[in-house]
Amino acid sequence: MPKSARTRNLIILSSVGTVLVVLFIVVRLYAGRGVVQPIAYNHRVHIENAGMQCTDCHVHAKDMASATVPSLEVCQNCHSAEPVSKSPEELKVLKYVADKKEIPWIRIYEVPEHVYFSHRRHVIGGKLECEACHGNMNEQTQPVTTAFLPVTMENCMNCHRQRKVSNDCLACHR
Amino acid sequence: MPRWAMVIDLDKCTGCGACMAACKMENNVAIVDSKEAQAGRALFWMDMITTYEGEYPTVAAKRMPKPCFQCDNPPCTKVCPVRATYRNNEGLVAQIYHRCIGCRYCMAACPFTTKVFNWYEPQWLEGANKCFNPDVSVRAVGVVEKCSFCAHRLQHVKEVADLEKRPLQDGEYVPACSEICPADAISFGDLENKDSAVYKLSRSYRASRVMEDLGVEPKVYYLSKRVS
Ligand code: HEC
Ligand code: HEC
Ligand code: HEC
Ligand code: HEC
Ligand code: HEC
Repeated sequence: MPKSARTRNLIILSSVGTVLVVLFIVVRLYAGRGVVQPIAYNHRVHIENAGMQCTDCHVHAKDMASATVPSLEVCQNCHSAEPVSKSPEELKVLKYVADKKEIPWIRIYEVPEHVYFSHRRHVIGGKLECEACHGNMNEQTQPVTTAFLPVTMENCMNCHRQRKVSNDCLACHR
Repeated sequence: MPRWAMVIDLDKCTGCGACMAACKMENNVAIVDSKEAQAGRALFWMDMITTYEGEYPTVAAKRMPKPCFQCDNPPCTKVCPVRATYRNNEGLVAQIYHRCIGCRYCMAACPFTTKVFNWYEPQWLEGANKCFNPDVSVRAVGVVEKCSFCAHRLQHVKEVADLEKRPLQDGEYVPACSEICPADAISFGDLENKDSAVYKLSRSYRASRVMEDLGVEPKVYYLSKRVS
């Protein structure tokens, strides 16, 4: 009967649709968590054991717009010939050094090109600690895969509102 | 609060077009193919109006650079249904491209036709897409854009001045057109600052604004000895 065939088709279609929507939501929810950094970089050992500071690696965190992620050259100062730890992750670093290949870090915090964000403005001008936006990186033992304070307009504007900083569109947008 | 304004001295302007070129480069303004440009779809933030006077063989060409007039009482912002264009408290008429829905009401409302629409995917000269100005976003197809008085330059100079805990100096914030002008015909600055060059020039006996009777209060003044 054509009528029941149509209802059957409708049921099939709508169930397929529901499955797709659920799948989409699940994928969106887990998208952030699926990030796998090329090396399980450990912030804490470098700050506590190697005695480094944020700006030793993120050299422009205080004097430019972009803090920058260190190039292999920085790692090479300490990781070049003999491993300094027993970690298998360090061997991966040494492999990159031997191959003279940059480590393809995946960026977690990033503003789109139509937004102007300056570290110098916030760290020096606003006297903000890195923690305010990035959480406690001193204790970070896992590679960075999710943002502590996600880069959304709402998060930018909330803090600006609290601290009575301009929320004029032209302050951020360009 | 500053109130940013521009003064263009037509007696000094040679009509060379350096301001137009500098503006295109500075602001990543797309190039439109020549056929479409002929049809009036060329993209210029700094345009050049040419009018001719007299009969051959004694013809004089009048050239007039035309940026956005950044009106103090802008008609374009009043018709925007999404507040993608608005006048900020420093007198800059902003255009937030990602907010723009491309309805083009603002273009219709502007008496000076300074707003332009991105009808197509932008085209670039070969290699030009590798040397965009990173301080200015590249607009997508379907949004309205216009001269911003190079507001991105203000973001930078303001940051430096704030860090040094001092007010902005006259001449610290200048748009690309003013910076490039070989005849020094384009002055730029703060109308609220009585010592600024633009404040003084805007009060010159030669100063006038386009269609002053409309009451939109443009902040671009033209200087000319010619009676127009
Ligand atoms: C020995 C070098 C080194 C030091 C010191 C260091 N970092 Fe990092 N940092 C890295 C590397 C390498 C990455 C990229 C790997 C990752 O994301 O885990 C990174 C990533 C980050 C990121 C994520 C960037 C992104 O968008 O993906 C933040 C935020 C960060 N570091 C903040 C800090 C802070 C704050 C400090 C000081 C407390 C610090 N770092 C000290 C090397 C260092
Ligand atoms: C100032 C010297 C120094 C620099 C520069 C440096 N490291 Fe290290 N790194 C160390 C030391 C010391 C250890 C061993 C820490 C320990 O186990 O106590 C270490 C350990 C590691 C380990 C193993 C960590 C673990 O899980 O135990 C990795 C991976 C690593 N470093 C990656 C990097 C990368 C990537 C860079 C460049 C961004 C870098 N390091 C730059 C000194 C340095
Ligand atoms: C007000 C919030 C805020 C503070 C404070 C802050 N950051 Fe960031 N950080 C951001 C944002 C937003 C981005 C994305 C920037 C971009 O895409 O240019 C970012 C990006 C980074 C990155 C990735 C590379 C880059 O520059 O884009 C690193 C590394 C980083 N920050 C380190 C630091 C360090 C170290 C400090 C402290 C000295 C710090 N940040 C303080 C918000 C902040
Ligand atoms: C934790 C608080 C905080 C967060 C989050 C934050 N800001 Fe800010 N921001 C500040 C402070 C404080 C200042 C004032 C700095 C100064 O006085 O120089 C500031 C200043 C600015 C300015 C200069 C404003 C002006 O007056 O011209 C810009 C632009 C800016 N922030 C952009 C951003 C963007 C974009 C983000 C989000 C990615 C962001 N900020 C997130 C605290 C914050
Ligand atoms: C404090 C900084 C800040 C201010 C002020 C601000 N924005 Fe934003 N805006 C951002 C950031 C950061 C993003 C990117 C967020 C993201 O990628 O999720 C953004 C994104 C947007 C987007 C979305 C773009 C897209 O691709 O979906 C629109 C539209 C927008 N802003 C409009 C405005 C308007 C209109 C105003 C003025 C009322 C304004 N913004 C003021 C920081 C700001």
